[in-house]
Amino acid sequence: MTAIAFEPHSVNARWRRIAGVVYRDLAAMRRSPIRVFEILFWPVIELVVWGYVTLFLQANKVPFIVSMLLGAVLLWQVLHRASNEVSIGFLEDVWSRNLINLHVTPVTPGEYVTGLILFSLIKIAGGLAVMTTLAYVLYGFGLFTIGIGLIPFMAVLLVLGWALALVAISAVLRFGEGAQVIAWSLVFVFQPIAGVFYPVSVLPEVLQWLATAVPATHVFEGMRAVLGGAPIPWDTLALAMGLDVVYVGVALWLYSATLRHARSKGRLSRFGE
Amino acid sequence: MRCGGMVLQRIVGPVAILEAQSLTKRFGPVHAVNGVSLTVGQGEITGLLGPNGAGKSTTLHMLLGLVTPDSGGITMFGLDLQRHRTEVLSRVNFSASYLGLPGVLHVREVLNSFARLYGLRDPRKRVADVAELVEIGPLLKRRTGDLSSGQHTRVQLAKALLNDPELLILDEPTAALDPDAGERIRALLVGVARETGKALLITSHNMREVERMCDTIHFLSAGRIVASGSAASLAADFGVVDLEEVFLKVAREGVPA
Repeated sequence: MTAIAFEPHSVNARWRRIAGVVYRDLAAMRRSPIRVFEILFWPVIELVVWGYVTLFLQANKVPFIVSMLLGAVLLWQVLHRASNEVSIGFLEDVWSRNLINLHVTPVTPGEYVTGLILFSLIKIAGGLAVMTTLAYVLYGFGLFTIGIGLIPFMAVLLVLGWALALVAISAVLRFGEGAQVIAWSLVFVFQPIAGVFYPVSVLPEVLQWLATAVPATHVFEGMRAVLGGAPIPWDTLALAMGLDVVYVGVALWLYSATLRHARSKGRLSRFGE
Repeated sequence: MRCGGMVLQRIVGPVAILEAQSLTKRFGPVHAVNGVSLTVGQGEITGLLGPNGAGKSTTLHMLLGLVTPDSGGITMFGLDLQRHRTEVLSRVNFSASYLGLPGVLHVREVLNSFARLYGLRDPRKRVADVAELVEIGPLLKRRTGDLSSGQHTRVQLAKALLNDPELLILDEPTAALDPDAGERIRALLVGVARETGKALLITSHNMREVERMCDTIHFLSAGRIVASGSAASLAADFGVVDLEEVFLKVAREGVPA
């Protein structure tokens, strides 16, 4: 090994490589104000629309708790952004034909994904800070009224979002750039099933069964319970975390298998064309 | 010791940096690479030539771990590529004019990012050193998306030198450069190989470039190495005056009997 580099399997080298991914994405964000605008634009629009819908329903004496809808909007953004930011980080490399450059470095797939995840956390934290402030200023809703349960709620959604991102990345690796639509839309498959804006009990029975297998369902049900005055449902939260482990396990397996397949079929090379 | 080592090296030949054995790759009905074996020694510049579709890029991509061979083995620095991917790739680098770089980033940021991806101890210093070596100092504050193709090639080359690689794999290294810039890059690459003992494996369609740079040349046709040797020996074997005519013979007539 040359003296200018850390030993490739050392902790220093691993962190340096992960930092390389984060550094690259941070620099890209700094150089592209449109990306910052994009991070904030849709969440803010969604917050404003749903916020005023809530106010309208309240004004018309519809029995509705304002915080439930706004809480759902904010937590949904956590899931949505966790999924999309990681997928977009990968797609940026596809779009700039930089994927081959990355795959000939000593960066492991795990380090690359870790870098994308860390960067997504930075973006989510920034976006959420703005939305939370707006929700408080415009509607008097403080996200922290959810209490200590907010931490596991958000953790479950983040992990689910990252697992979905890995599935989307796998789809692009397997089917090519044309499959990038999956990166935008996969998370929305879970929106109706997970009961983001309504209780799962309104769904048909089959979908209710399906909903129990989605970690996000337990978060949104739990959030409504907490905002309705019930204690934090730790048992269902534990179930959600267990489901997250399964989702992440499957997503990692899929990512690893599609990467092997892409190398075997020469698909990885085609990302440089 | 050093002199003794050099004498011994002259007797036994350069230390093998890369050994590929019987590499085979099929894509459906197409036999892209068919039993390719090659060795690249320390300080050696090896050329891989052949017409379009001969299997050059697939071979390079197998050597870089981007494509898994159907059969055959790849060893670099005595390590199996499949099993020691991280160690091997930290000592190798690659440049190709057809690859992109994140267009919104400044050149300095791209290089800083890759310096970290290679686990370098002092990324900024190394970027400054390489920028001076490849003469891209004035480009460091430019967006990569705004570079000309020649400038882009030089930045790719700077990226490929960041980790001080022991094996540098170059796919068409001077494809988009004007004659003057191409000549300077060739001189740089030859100097790097001769002075530091780095091994170079290059593909090119510029026969003059290959003649001037390469110690050993392998001609690929339909996925097979059909001829190997120095530029002079290949020309003699094919009964022609230079490498360009060898290329035309291989491309049009296939392998000599």
